[in-house]
Amino acid sequence: MPEIHVEGLVKEFGDQRALDHVSFTVADGELFTLLGPSGCGKSTTLMSIAGFQAPNEGRIAVGADTFFDADRRVNVAAEQRNLGIVFQSYAVWPHMTVFDNLAFPLRVRKVRKAALRDRVREILELVDMAPYEKRYPHQLSGGQQQRVALARALVYSPSVLLLDEPFSNLDAKLRERARTWVKDLQHRLGLTTIFVTHDQDEALSMSDRVVVMDHGVIQQVGTPEEVYRRPANRFVAEFVGRVNLIDGVVSSTAAGSVVLSVDGSQQQLTLSAPDRTGLAEKVTIAVRPEAVTLLPMDDRTVNGTNTWEANVHTVAFLGDHYEYEVSAGPVPLTVQSARRVEGDTIKVHIPAEACSVVA
Amino acid sequence: MSTTTAPTSRAFPRPRASFVPAWALHWTTWALVVVLVLGPFVPLLEASLRDRPLYQDGGVWTLEPYRQLLNDGAFWTAWKNTLAFAALTTAMSVGVGAAFAILCARTDLPGRRAYSRLVLLPILLPSLGMVLGWIVIWGPGGYLTEWFSQRLHVGTLAIDTIPGMAVVEAARLLPVAFMTCQAALVRADSSLEDAARSAGARPLKVLRSITIPMLRPALLNSATLIFTLSIAALGVPLLLGTSNNIKFVSSYLYDLWTNGSVPDSPSVSAGAMLLLLVATALIALRNLLLGAEARFVSVGGKSGRSAMLGLRAWRYPLAALLGLYLLFTTMIPVLGLVLMSFVVVLTPLVAPWHLATWAHWHMLSEGVFRRSIEHSLVIGVVGAVLTTALVVLATLVAHRSGFRLRRTLPFVMLYPRAIPGIIIGIGFYWTFLVTWGVGDYLRNSIWGIMLAFCIRNLPFAYIVMYPTLARIGEELDRAGRAAGAGWWRTNRSIVIPLLRPAIFASFVLMFVEILNDYDPAVFLVKPGTEVMGATMLTQFIQGAIGPVAALAVVQVAITVVVLAVGGRVFKIGATAGGHGA
Repeated sequence: MPEIHVEGLVKEFGDQRALDHVSFTVADGELFTLLGPSGCGKSTTLMSIAGFQAPNEGRIAVGADTFFDADRRVNVAAEQRNLGIVFQSYAVWPHMTVFDNLAFPLRVRKVRKAALRDRVREILELVDMAPYEKRYPHQLSGGQQQRVALARALVYSPSVLLLDEPFSNLDAKLRERARTWVKDLQHRLGLTTIFVTHDQDEALSMSDRVVVMDHGVIQQVGTPEEVYRRPANRFVAEFVGRVNLIDGVVSSTAAGSVVLSVDGSQQQLTLSAPDRTGLAEKVTIAVRPEAVTLLPMDDRTVNGTNTWEANVHTVAFLGDHYEYEVSAGPVPLTVQSARRVEGDTIKVHIPAEACSVVA
Repeated sequence: MSTTTAPTSRAFPRPRASFVPAWALHWTTWALVVVLVLGPFVPLLEASLRDRPLYQDGGVWTLEPYRQLLNDGAFWTAWKNTLAFAALTTAMSVGVGAAFAILCARTDLPGRRAYSRLVLLPILLPSLGMVLGWIVIWGPGGYLTEWFSQRLHVGTLAIDTIPGMAVVEAARLLPVAFMTCQAALVRADSSLEDAARSAGARPLKVLRSITIPMLRPALLNSATLIFTLSIAALGVPLLLGTSNNIKFVSSYLYDLWTNGSVPDSPSVSAGAMLLLLVATALIALRNLLLGAEARFVSVGGKSGRSAMLGLRAWRYPLAALLGLYLLFTTMIPVLGLVLMSFVVVLTPLVAPWHLATWAHWHMLSEGVFRRSIEHSLVIGVVGAVLTTALVVLATLVAHRSGFRLRRTLPFVMLYPRAIPGIIIGIGFYWTFLVTWGVGDYLRNSIWGIMLAFCIRNLPFAYIVMYPTLARIGEELDRAGRAAGAGWWRTNRSIVIPLLRPAIFASFVLMFVEILNDYDPAVFLVKPGTEVMGATMLTQFIQGAIGPVAALAVVQVAITVVVLAVGGRVFKIGATAGGHGA
């Protein structure tokens, strides 16, 4: 399985810039996710790789094959790229049986009849759809259609697999099962895969690496953990998971840590090692709700650093945890806590290592 | 979860590019459509700027034909008549058509479903035959005209005057307004009206202040289309206007062509160019108005329940009125045609069975009548197949390709809708004259007439094709491309099979339209290449009313049978709505 190189893609629709110098490399066998809100350019990127859209600038290559190069005026036709694609609507051809849907790409490749039948059956086995080969798409459930779409994208051994929001038409329960199943299949086949989604849970749970995009610009590339725990900027912090944002000014720096004066209050926040921040700089800190600890007022287990007094506004019970809306001075915080902490006034503790500077 | 081991990643051969590259197919299709639709205007323009017909040697470039035409008082009178006629026709058909649409779509009128189908009949029935039916029944000396004046001593509207002709034309074009308004009403969210009612408005107030304003774009749209179509009408002025010497632009040009002192006078081409200019301006205006339509379109909304205006005591009287309208404008003219074809003279003074004869029908089995029927059927079938094939290709290029000029195709394909048939006729006449051997062959056979009919009616095929294509998700053909199939293979294996219902509908509609068309043919027809419509026109002018009525009955019968069978088999009832678009 080859690597995918995307370099400096620019795509303009009228005066709208849909892609602004998008570059990344997908490693062999990796499941790589493009994540972002609708209109962020993730689908445009995918369709450019697939060959359904021609960018204005940039280069796309899979392994040694250059698919697109604006400078050299190379643009390989979509049908010559040998990529497997699963579309959002599945696009299972309604007038063909399951068998014929899978056979079509092989017939285009002039595969002989016997070999064709064997291959189609083999792939149908792989996706557990062998008993349905004579069915028409309208006789299948959404989940089954999705398997057919995936099987059709795999049957001709494509060099890479592209998934365009393949789970968005499934209901919640089915979606989770489909995720595990696709991830497992991708891993077993060792397929280099690009996956497009706007669902952060999907992106975090399935990907080897995630690209977060907004307004046609890449905001961050990293493993799911990196993107979640160390968001590169405010957009990533807010888009991937829920977050508390705290504004302040750097009041002192020491080796490996800085102290922040929170805007509008006397409170101080000590953070670990944001090496690029300077004194008196205005910064914004992101803290995940589950990283904050709640303590009763009389608790003495943590020292005074990053521990503030807070007023409780609401408490909601959500089954496996409680959700608190509190305010520590002028700073509103959302906190997830596994246990209930009694009292209208409590202590919140923000661990230094849970803070990331996002702006 | 499957426990099979991962299959070996087998290498399959890369799909080969097809022999004919997609771009060649795109360019060919585009060029064919553009040349066939716009090509005939080039020789027409040339002919209008020469001092003698194109087939005569010599000749110089000149504006003389235009000067001659514009200095002729009769030409201006013809324009005045045409505009008065078109304005009256538009006002009547839009007013009545919109009223019928509201009655059928928004009230509890009894039988509204049946009515909303029957109202469409006049535009599907052969227009020339219907005019003949009107003449036989309501014309001077017509059956019911006589009956009313002798038995009841009341006069009926004289249909050989401008208002009378407008009534005949309005009855034919009313379905255009009806369909446009009905479509708008069905699309519009009836909860807008519910909201007004729950705000305390009485039903009639709702009608006046919500429903009718909502219809405004549909009214404007159908009004411009009907105005354009009625300016181009040829059958009505030729058959009804001649006796009172009321000339329209179309009949003025027709007379100049057939009876002028100079054969094929360049002035006719100049007149055709002017008419083309007006029609093009009108269609441009319509596009402009349609562009603004989006502002009026109410978003979403499921119109599950549509009867909102309770007519109460008016239910049955209004239903009866609508029934009477259909009876007098559609049923009786058709019956009149049937009756006329079986009698020597149609008159209320003598019972028809005393005048019964088979002579008219016998005439159909020989000579020009028989040839006309055979020719019309042949060009109907062949033309419908060819046009449908071309339109399928062109629609795919227009909406499912990356071809650079694809956006021009819908405009070009819809353009003939706005062009008067006589202009297409004259345009092809000159085109065949200047295209050497091919032109000579087409000019001397029925295929030339077929070509003109096909181009004239091509918009209907597109109007039927496009909505179906738009409903076929683009991801389906992208999936085909991703699977390795080229443009043509993808369309052949995936898109065209899914288009099948629209392809059949287009075939049926094209067959009927070609069968019933006539005005382009009057300039192209020669002894030996007659088609039904043109024969009806020339024979009627020569006074052979009986056989012409029989021919019209044949035309109506074929149309009704084909539409009924085609409609049942291919479910094209809804696609007849294409006429309104």
